[in-house]
Formats: sequence, C-alpha cells, structure tokens
Amino acid sequence: MASVKSAPKDAQVMVQILKDMGITEYEPRVINQMLEFTYRYVTTILEDAKIYSSHAKKSNVDADDVRLAIQCRMDQSFTSPPPRDFLLEVARQKNQTPLPLIKPYCGPRLPPDRYCLTAPNYRLKSLQKKGSSVGRITAPRLSVGAVTSRPSTPTLGNPAQTVSVTNKPVTPVSLSGQRFTVQIPTSQSSTIKSAATSTNTVQNVLINPSLIGSKNIVITTNMVSSQTSSNEANSLKRKHEDDDDYDAL
Amino acid sequence: MAAIPDGPVKSETELEVKPDSVNDIAGNPNVVQGIGGTPKTSPSVAATVASVTPPDITDRQTLLAVLQFLKKNKLLESEETLRKESGLCLDNEEQSGSVDGGSVCATGDAEGSDASLLSRVSGVTSAPAAAAVTGAPVPAKVTSATSAGDDQPDVSVVLSAYSQQGDPALYQVYYSGLKKFIESVLDCHRAELSQVFYPLFVHMYLELVYNQHEAEAKDFFDKFHGDQECYYQDDLRVLSGLTKKEHMKGNETLLDFRTSKFVLRISRDSYQLLKRHLQERQNNQIWNIIQEHLYIDIFDGMPRSKSQIDSMSGSLAGEARREANKAKVFYGLLKEPEIEVPLDDEDEEAENEEGKPKKKKPKKDSLGSKSKKQDPNAPQQNRIPLPELKDSDKLDKIMNMKEATKRIRLGPDSLPSICFYTFLNAYQGLTAVDFTDDSSLIAGGFADSTVRVWSVTPKKLRGVKSAADLSLIDKESDDVLERIMDEKTASESKILYGHSGPVYGTSFSPDRNYLLSCSEDGTVRLWSLQTFTCLVGYKGHNYPVWDTQFSPYGYYFVSGGHDRVARLWATDHYQPLRMFSGHLADVTSTRFHPNCNYVVTGSADRTIRLWDVLTGNCVRILTGHKGPIHSLAFSPNGKFLASGATDGRILLWDIGHGVMIGELKGHTDTIYALKFSRDGEILASGSMDNTVKLWDATKAFDDIETDDFTAATGHITLPENSQDILLGTYVTKSTAVVHVHFTRRNLLLAAGSYNP
Repeated sequence: MASVKSAPKDAQVMVQILKDMGITEYEPRVINQMLEFTYRYVTTILEDAKIYSSHAKKSNVDADDVRLAIQCRMDQSFTSPPPRDFLLEVARQKNQTPLPLIKPYCGPRLPPDRYCLTAPNYRLKSLQKKGSSVGRITAPRLSVGAVTSRPSTPTLGNPAQTVSVTNKPVTPVSLSGQRFTVQIPTSQSSTIKSAATSTNTVQNVLINPSLIGSKNIVITTNMVSSQTSSNEANSLKRKHEDDDDYDAL
Repeated sequence: MAAIPDGPVKSETELEVKPDSVNDIAGNPNVVQGIGGTPKTSPSVAATVASVTPPDITDRQTLLAVLQFLKKNKLLESEETLRKESGLCLDNEEQSGSVDGGSVCATGDAEGSDASLLSRVSGVTSAPAAAAVTGAPVPAKVTSATSAGDDQPDVSVVLSAYSQQGDPALYQVYYSGLKKFIESVLDCHRAELSQVFYPLFVHMYLELVYNQHEAEAKDFFDKFHGDQECYYQDDLRVLSGLTKKEHMKGNETLLDFRTSKFVLRISRDSYQLLKRHLQERQNNQIWNIIQEHLYIDIFDGMPRSKSQIDSMSGSLAGEARREANKAKVFYGLLKEPEIEVPLDDEDEEAENEEGKPKKKKPKKDSLGSKSKKQDPNAPQQNRIPLPELKDSDKLDKIMNMKEATKRIRLGPDSLPSICFYTFLNAYQGLTAVDFTDDSSLIAGGFADSTVRVWSVTPKKLRGVKSAADLSLIDKESDDVLERIMDEKTASESKILYGHSGPVYGTSFSPDRNYLLSCSEDGTVRLWSLQTFTCLVGYKGHNYPVWDTQFSPYGYYFVSGGHDRVARLWATDHYQPLRMFSGHLADVTSTRFHPNCNYVVTGSADRTIRLWDVLTGNCVRILTGHKGPIHSLAFSPNGKFLASGATDGRILLWDIGHGVMIGELKGHTDTIYALKFSRDGEILASGSMDNTVKLWDATKAFDDIETDDFTAATGHITLPENSQDILLGTYVTKSTAVVHVHFTRRNLLLAAGSYNP
C-alpha cells in the first residue's frame, strides 16, 4: 500500500471522510472508486452549469448556475423514495380493497401472460421475399404455445428437412398435445417450378403468447416457395428485406 | 390519535388539541396555546400583540399574517376585533400585505401556507423579545420556503416548520440551561427527563442548519453531541455530515423524523417538573420544539429507571405509544385439516412390528381433532383467503407428520447436532440463503445477481422435459411425475440468471415448486423449480428490495425494501395486494406469522412492526433495538417473536401483549439468522461473529410474568439471565453465518460463506 506521504491530497481527504463516518474496514480500491465518482460528478455538474450560464447569457459561471445544475441532476440520477404522506395515502387506498378470493384448482397461479416472463423472446425470420408476386402470406391465426426447444424444426432453406405436408386447408385446429404442421396453400402463380426446387421455408411463426400450455406446440407453416430464380435475386437483396420482414409484423 | 399527522392541516389541529390534553385543564393563560383556537383567546393574542410597542414593519407584517389566517379560517369576529384593536393604520398596509399574503398562498399549496403562517405567529408570540430578529427574515423565509415547495408539497411544509426560530446564538444557552436543570432534578426523575436530550438536540441542530446558521450549527453539534447516549452515535454521525439546508431535502429518513412525533413516555411527576421549569422562562425555544415535535405519553406511576428506559429506547421514533399496542392480535395457529394417514407396508416404524398382522386401519391425524372449539386467540379459518389443499400438499403433510414422529425432542440436555454448509469461493458474494422446509434444496443469492440452487440430497435436480418429449410419455403410468423429468438435464446445481443486481433475499415456496428472489434492482422474481426458468418479475419497489418471504401456505409473499414500505403480493397478481407503510427507514426484514394473518417487519429505524394482512393496519410497534433489525423469527406456537439486530442482542417479545419479555446478550456482531426449533424449545442464532449460539427458549418464555401493570404500561424489568439461557456457542472457521434452519427431525442446518 502506498505510504500516506505519497498519496495525493484528494485521496487523503477520502480517507478522512471514511474515518469521520465511522468506516474502519474497507478495501483500498474504495478510495479510487470514491475519487472517480467525485471527479465524474463534479465535472458533470460543472459542465451542466456552463451550459446553463451560457443559456442565460452570462459571462461567468456563478453559484446559481451550479445550484440549478445540482438540482437537475438530483432529480434525475439521485432520486429518493417517495415521501411518507404519499406512501400512507397510497397504502390506505390499496388496503381498503378486500383480499381477492382464490379460485380453486387452476394450476400454476401466475399473473396474466403479459405480465409474465414466460413468452418466447425471439421470432423466427423468414427467407421469403415480401412484396413479390407470390403475395404476402400471413401466418394463420392459430394460438400457439411456447416454441419447442428443438432447433431442427425451424428450418430456413434446408431442403433436406422436408416436413410432412398435408393438403388440408387452414382451419383453426384445436390444440392438443401433439405436434403438427399446417400447410398454407400459397396463391399459385404462374412461375411455380417443380417440387424439386421447392424449399421448405418456415414463415414467421406467429406466436400468440396468450395461451400457455404445459405442452409445447409448434406450428410450422410451410410454404412452397415460388421460384428459385426469384430467390437468387432475392438473396442479393436479402439484407434490405430483413427490415421489411420486421415491418410486416 | 394517529401516530403521524397525515397532513399539515391536521398538524394544526393537533397543535390546538394537544395543549389541552397535555396541560392541565386549569386554563393556563399561556399565550402559546391560544393560537388558532377559539375566538375568545384570539383577543388575548391581539392584546399581547398590540401591547408590544410601536408597530414597526415587522410587527405589521405579522399582524397581517394573523389577519390572513383568521380570515382563512373564517374567524371573522376575531378578525374584526384584531383589526380594531391594532389600529386603522393597517388599512394602508393591507393592500401590500394581502398581495404579499396572496403570493404566499399562491406559490405553495394552501395547507403549506397555513402551517407556515401558524408557525410564524406562534414563533413571534413566544419570543417577543426576539421579534426584531425573527420578524424580518421570517416572512422572507416563508415565501422562499413555499416557493421552493414546487418539488414536493410536504417538503416545504415540513421544512417551513423551522421558519420559527430563536436567536441562533442562544441555542447553546437554552440547551445548557436545560441540561443544568435536568442534572439538578431528583435522581428518580433524571433518567426519564434525560430522554428529552436526544430529540431536542437533533431538532435544534436541524433548525440551525435549515436557517442556514452553519457556524452556530457546527458549534452546537460539537459541544453537545458527546452527551448523547451511545446507541444514538450512528444517527449522530449521519447528522454530522449534514451541514447545509440542501442536504436535508434528499434525506427521506430525516424528513420522516421531522413529520412524525418522537414519542417519549414520561411519568406524570417528571413531566410536571419539566413543564413548570420551561414555562417559567419567557423566550424559550425548547418548549416550542417540545410541543411541535415531541409526543409525551404520560403515565401515572413510578418513574422508570435508567435500565428500563434504555432497554426500550433506541428507535428513531422514540418508543411506542400505549394505544399503538392495544389492538387484539390473533396469534394462535390455524387448525390443521384432518388428513387420513394411510399405513403402508414399507413403514418400518409401525406399531405392530413384531410380526403380528398389521391392521390396515388408516390412522387419523390426531393433531387436528384435539379441540373442536375455536382457540380464542386464533383467527378464523377464512379470515384471509388461503389456497386450498392440493393432493400434493396432502402428501407433503403426511410426510411431515411421519417425520415428526421421528423428531428428536430437544432441550438443555439434548442439544441438536449442527450441520454447516459452507459456501467456498463465494468471494464475499453470498448475500442470501434459504432451505426448503424438508431440507432438500438450498438456494443461494449472490452479489453477482445470480441465484443458485443445490440439491442437498443425492437426488439430482432435473428440469421438466420439453413439449415434444412430454407428448410421448404415458400419462396414465404411476410414476408419471418421475417420467416428466428430463434426465439429460440432471445436475447437482442450477444457476438462475435474470436479476440485474445483487440478490438480497431468497425464499422457497412450501410446495417446493417456486423460488422467490429479491434484489437491488427493485424486482422480486418468481422462478419455477421444475423448469428452472424465471416466470414473473414483480415490479413495485423501485428501490433495492432487502427481504422477501413466501407465506407458510404458499400463494402470498411479502417483500420489503428501501422505499420504507413492505408489500404483500399474491403470485397471480402483478400488483401488490397490501402496502404496509409506516416505517421511517428501510424495511430490512419481513416475515409471516405461522397463521399467515400477520406480517412482521423489522426496519433500519430500529422498530419492529406487526401488520394485519386483512386490513393493512399496524397492530404492534416494538422498540428496543439499537440498530437496524436483520432477523426475525416466530415461535412455532405463534405467541412469541425473536428479533436480532446489528447491536448483537436478541430480543424476545410477547406479541399478544406487545411487550418485551427477554433479552439475550452474547453475540458481538450483527445477527443475520434466527430460527426456533420445530417444537419451540431451542432458539438458534447465527451471526457475523462466526458463531452459532443455542438458547433455551422454554426457559426464556417461562420466566415472564405479565401482570396487569406490565401489560398496561409496558414497563418491564428484564432479568439478567442471558448466561443461563445460553446453551452453547459453536464457532466456525471465519465463516459468517447467514442462515439457520431446523430440519423436520430437529437437526440444525446452518449456511454461510467462508471468507478468510
């Protein structure tokens, strides 16, 4: 540890402050942290004060500017808890409502889903170019539970993963504990090539987190992409389309 | 009368009412009392004011202030009288005066100006000699105070209470005068009157600071801070850093100290002595301060001794008023539901062991059916809604009862074995620990904002399978609860990430499905112990949350934090159900009563408050600790409470009467862990001084004698029997003890982190 003689004056001031406040044990880095905080705080205040004084068209920064700067910073960074009478008033109002009755037998008792952290925090990106002649296909309005953790299912342009394709029309299906896929019949355009070049892309999976089930359900919407040529053209432009994808939803 | 005036308007009326109740009703012609009261006293005000010699500018302004006040309160007759008596020269001044008064009223809120006007008036009439000094700066200060009240209305109101002032140079004289008087008083009264020193000192110092007499404030502090009791030293240290008026604004604790009255309990004789002495003097600031900021709870009887006073004092708000602890508290336990305990073949402890054919008659739970009558001290079953008992809960209860039969009975001659779980390499980061009730899991909260869960038993922690796999299992099989667990995720410990600040409290739910954690980031998080993910973040405290606990029946939980309130939540409501507000400083510890109807909170203002969950009211205020309270524990029968604080003492309380019944001295550092054994015979305490101590709880509670006098006045004489009650001290190797827990069979588990 550096001897007291060689420590800068500010550090000695910090040591004295700690001693005055009765703190006897502290790591040596605390002094550095205090110095850094002091320096940062003072420079911020003085910079703010300079701005205020120049706004008031004064030639020098004076005490009023500094006072104003301090007050603004206090309201911003160093807020204090609400005052007591406010708390008492809020408490009085809240305590007047009777305790809610508990519904029996309803599984895990959690708040409504928008207040929970159980929704998935990602969306799947689609390769399909939006605004092309294929037309915009929106995912069916089916409620979906949390996405399964299996990474293989959302495939992007992986032709090997041909998921079973059924020709059923889109209907709102009842959710059971099964995994199923739904194909959305695309609007046929004249440029559809043969199935050999079709890739199974997964449209953005619309997740409606309003339904949380214990069984995870995945809906993959398979689209038969229209033509590879448009895809090739799209691949060059893919970066711009990413924005479109997000805007679409 | 509420403990805290909930508005400046009320404070006025209290000022009026209090002189009547505090003083004798002999109609003391003290000028101070008559302010703002009945009209018949105001002419006396006018008389005194008019009798002061030629009205100069300052007096005129004060007269105008009085007129404004009377007009505001619709005391028109008295206003007329005052106007007549003080002469018509006021008419000229009225224009400017009313403008001035109007501006005063307009800037602050009306209530603020009322209080400030009132304080101006009372300040003037009590110190007529100093009027010349006070008059001029006072109105200016009032306007500045009210105009500065645009931030928070109550700040200006509160701080404007200091607009009255005596001569700053004379404060030292007043204080030393009082000191001399109290030293000359009889011994029996001296201890009681010495209670006045601390609040008086703090209020006078703050008055000087507020009125920006820095030099006088510093002198005053230096001269007298050494005289205060040792247990106030922490507060005084904070005060010593507060030298400017601006410092006062941000400090919520100090502001609360100002608005709430410091309660002193003084016997009638001692109080008469003090009153007589103070009223003899004319310009005595001390009497004003006492009237405004102190609440003197007078009792008839013997004055208390120094040791009695010391044991009860120490909190930031003085002691508790007698009325505060009079409400009925249902401290009994709820009736256990009757559960049929099926005998199964693997049960080796069945009575018929000798090979006789075991009778398959199911045993009924005998604990619940002992008394069909309602325990008068127990709350109704449906007083607060509680979740119903699920099958898994019933199974758990059956396990509990089976374990209870194998429980070791503890006592002074049969001490528990202690199993200590040391957290290595925690780098001083371990901030919270909790065990499940059946002691199968440990949760640790850390300063790096993670929560880690370990399995104590050889059984590993597993997460639930994914949806894909869950669809494949056979739901009808008997061990479906095992099959839903994913073996691939089995591990000894799990880390839960989510908080953005050190985790200060953890709590398992009784059914072991959930874990709660509260942190410095202001949120309380609910984690699922089946998927080991975070389910909900409850946002309400915007400031660090220091402690949280699940209720004994699950579903409810309580949290307390830096914003000085404790909140009661339910897991399925994103907003709190109850807010327990009343503490003057941070709520550092929160616990449920075993019957789930009450919540106890310990705070940094050194008081413990017991709150009723149904109404949110504070039903008990317990003072006596000399430092922030960090641990609380209820006895299993619900009657007693043990509390530990930074002063190293454990205090025992009788909740029904609201009195202190024991004090356990022995620890030398903060006590962070307190637990009663399963049948309440032993109290285990763990502290920062690296020891676990065991205390004989049955002996401590047997010694109490709550006769009528004790219950009525709350005066206790604590026996000095800490050494007799202490059963054992167990020292760890430089490991501070953070948590203690009795297993269902009365084995003591303790946890802490090793810091060499």
